[in-house]
This record gives sequence, structure tokens and C-alpha cells, in this order.
Amino acid sequence: MSMTEGSELPGVPACMRELYPFLYAQETAPDAVLAEVARSTAEKADEIVRLRREVAALYANDLSACAYAMAGRFAGGGRLFTFGNGGSSTDAQDVATTFLHPPTGRPLPALCLTCDVAVVTALSNDVGFEVVFARQIAAFGRRGDIALGLSTSGGSANVVQAFEEAAGRGLLTIGMAGYHGGRLAELDSIDHLFVIPSSSVHRIQEAQTTVYHVLWELTSRAMAELEVTAAGCPAWELEGDMS
Amino acid sequence: MRESAVGVGPPVSVGTAIRDAFVRREQAAGELAADAVRMAIICRDMAARFARGGKLIVFGNGGAGTDAGHIAVEFMHPVIVGKRALPALALANDGATVTGIGAREGFAEVFAYQLRHFADPEDIALAVSPDGREASVGRGLEAAREAGLLTVALLGGDGGDLAEAATVDHALVVRSADPLVVKEVHVTTYHVLWELVHVFLEQPGLLSPALIA
Repeated sequence: MSMTEGSELPGVPACMRELYPFLYAQETAPDAVLAEVARSTAEKADEIVRLRREVAALYANDLSACAYAMAGRFAGGGRLFTFGNGGSSTDAQDVATTFLHPPTGRPLPALCLTCDVAVVTALSNDVGFEVVFARQIAAFGRRGDIALGLSTSGGSANVVQAFEEAAGRGLLTIGMAGYHGGRLAELDSIDHLFVIPSSSVHRIQEAQTTVYHVLWELTSRAMAELEVTAAGCPAWELEGDMS
Repeated sequence: MRESAVGVGPPVSVGTAIRDAFVRREQAAGELAADAVRMAIICRDMAARFARGGKLIVFGNGGAGTDAGHIAVEFMHPVIVGKRALPALALANDGATVTGIGAREGFAEVFAYQLRHFADPEDIALAVSPDGREASVGRGLEAAREAGLLTVALLGGDGGDLAEAATVDHALVVRSADPLVVKEVHVTTYHVLWELVHVFLEQPGLLSPALIA
């Protein structure tokens, strides 16, 4: 079956035509459609596999240090606060629930700061969207807690403000970004920053999912080690030894 | 690489643990391409529903519930500028209703109940479940089928009870027993599904069933 003849559809972004050239040709046979879909799907699967390998190579040491730092905070009674916008807010929620209600192992206290819609809408409406996370950190955050923010652009004002608030209050700060890290890469207020080296929002999110899952696994492992060690010293001293 | 805590701890170094953690993901992620044809058919059917005015209703429990939210926002507010916004609703966001149904009708009804009140016959129901055995998800898909919706399921492990269920039009199963790995492959899957839905929507000639049998 052939497609309706005529010029290419107006308003179709050039990137889509480049990704699926056969599908934007004037005549398209079924085999060509399926072949094109199969090719582009395989390409994306390869891309994310390679990207995760690159991230593993780049961040193995940092992941280890970060996990032990988090374990030290949790061991001292700290809680994890997570935040992000849009798709990253669902990832922030996934981070929190993975720690609080894990598939295996010990539950750890974690709260996502996008879940209280009354608080988020009230702050946005009355003050401004840029304070929605920072104000919650100011309300809940104590020295010894952890703040973890996810962004793909690295440029959201509410995420930047959250990190500055958290750092000022003595929280351990962990950031996830993409491309070159945006504004987050310029901040002094982030203790551990993981930047996914890709310009695709989708691949960045997929790689970040692996990073925070691995971080959870390593933190669980580190918590188990701390329990076995039973060092009998405050969590701060443990954290200081584990860089 | 930092070794385990002094004097005690498991024999495997943390460096090895990190390498193993990343390698463990690779196989399932690489297998996504094998489902490409099925994904094309799913997207053609979804695009046809959207073209007729249908909306997407997504649901799942726990981490899969965050996937449902992620899928909804991808369609409602695309990250790629210029792509059309499409109506999508995630069913775990209304905490009052979910907990209320759980307390009164029982947790198995949390999605089915909402579907009965929100779904129109032209809609799409998309369930996410790493184990495919959750009663709430099964009941949700039953309610969706009764209402005439297109039903799609993103699953894991061996697909549980849902991979072959009569209530599911299309199922994709990530062959891993680790729910975290399943989720990571699901994220790529639904990103690709989103992209392909738009390809089919922008090329109405592709919506003919004869083109992809």
C-alpha cells in the first residue's frame, strides 16, 4: 500500500525526518516501515547500553564515595529528601520510594518533595515556583540529612535554590544532571554531582535511573557493612574516613 | 577502588560491586530491539485511538506508579519542542481517592474504580507491572477491556498472569527478575513508544491496518 502522494508534511521537525527517513518518503511499503522501526529501536537500545558503560567508567569512584557518605548519614538518623521537575519529579519519587519501601533490605526514611501538591501549589502561587523545594528543605531539613535533586537540563531555578538551601543547612547534597551539567555544574553547593554525557533528554533520564538504582544498591551494601562493623563512633567520623 | 570496611565486610570489593551492578543491566536493555515490530503495532494502535480523540490512562504500583506518572507527563508536555501534547492521566496521583478506595472497596479496586469513572471507549489503558501478578493491575485491565479500551501492558520477569491474559491486547515483557532492571528497560521502552506514536500520528497513511499486519 502506498501513502498519499504529495510533498512532505509541513510542521514536521527535521529531526523526526532524519530519525525515520523511510517513514517520511512519499511511498512506504509495510516492510520498509517495519525495517525502519526495527533499525531505529535497535539503535536506541545500543545507545543507552553504551551510555551506561560510559557513566560506569566515569563515575565508579564517585558512586562509591557517595554511597558511603549516604550510609553514614542514614546511620546517624538522617533522612533523604528528593526533588526534580516533570519527568525528573517522577524519578525523584522513584528514588524516595526505592529507599523507603525497597524491594529487599532495610527501609530508610525518604521523602519526595513534589508529592505534597497543596504545599507545592501554595508556595508557587503565593511566592514563586523557584522556592518550592528550598522552602520544604528549610522546614524539614536538619544537619545529617541528604538532599538529592534530579535535572536533565541542570538549569531549573527551584533545583538550584534547593541545593543552596540544603548546603547552607549542612545536608549532604547529591545532584544528577545531563549534557554538561548546566548551572548545577557551576555550584559549590553540590557534594556529589553525576552528569550524564548525552544531549538527549530521554537517554539522560534512562541513564539517571540506572545511576540512582546503583546508588541505592551500594548504599544498602554500605549500611550492612556499617552494621557489621559496629564501630561505635558517630556517623560523621565514619563519613570522614570514607572518601 | 575503596575496599570493604577495615577488618570486616564481604570479600567482594566495592569496585567489583559497581562493575557487576552496571553489567547486570546490559542484557535486558540490549534485548529491547527484539520487540521492535510489536512496539510498532502497539504505537499504530495507540495513534489511531489518539487520532479519534482518545486519551491515555496509565497505572501501576510503587515504582511502576512513578513510571505511570512519567509516561503521562511525556505525552501531556513533550520534552521535544514542537511535538503535539496528547491527553494522558496517571491513576496513582490522587492519594485521597487511592487510599479511600483501598480502605473501603479494597486495594484491588484502586485502578478499576477510577477507570470506570474516567474512561471513554476510544481511550488507551497502559499498565506497568514488573511481576504481572498484582490484583489491582489485573482488575484495572479487566475494567478497561469492559469499557472498550485498547489495553497495553509493560511487564517483567516471566510476565506473570498478564502476559497472556485475554484482557491484554499487547504485552511487552522485560526478561529480568530484578524489578529495578525491569524499570530501567521500561523507561527506554516508553520513550520509544512515545516517539513512534508521534511518527504514526504525523503520517496518517500509516494508520491503515493493512500496512502493518
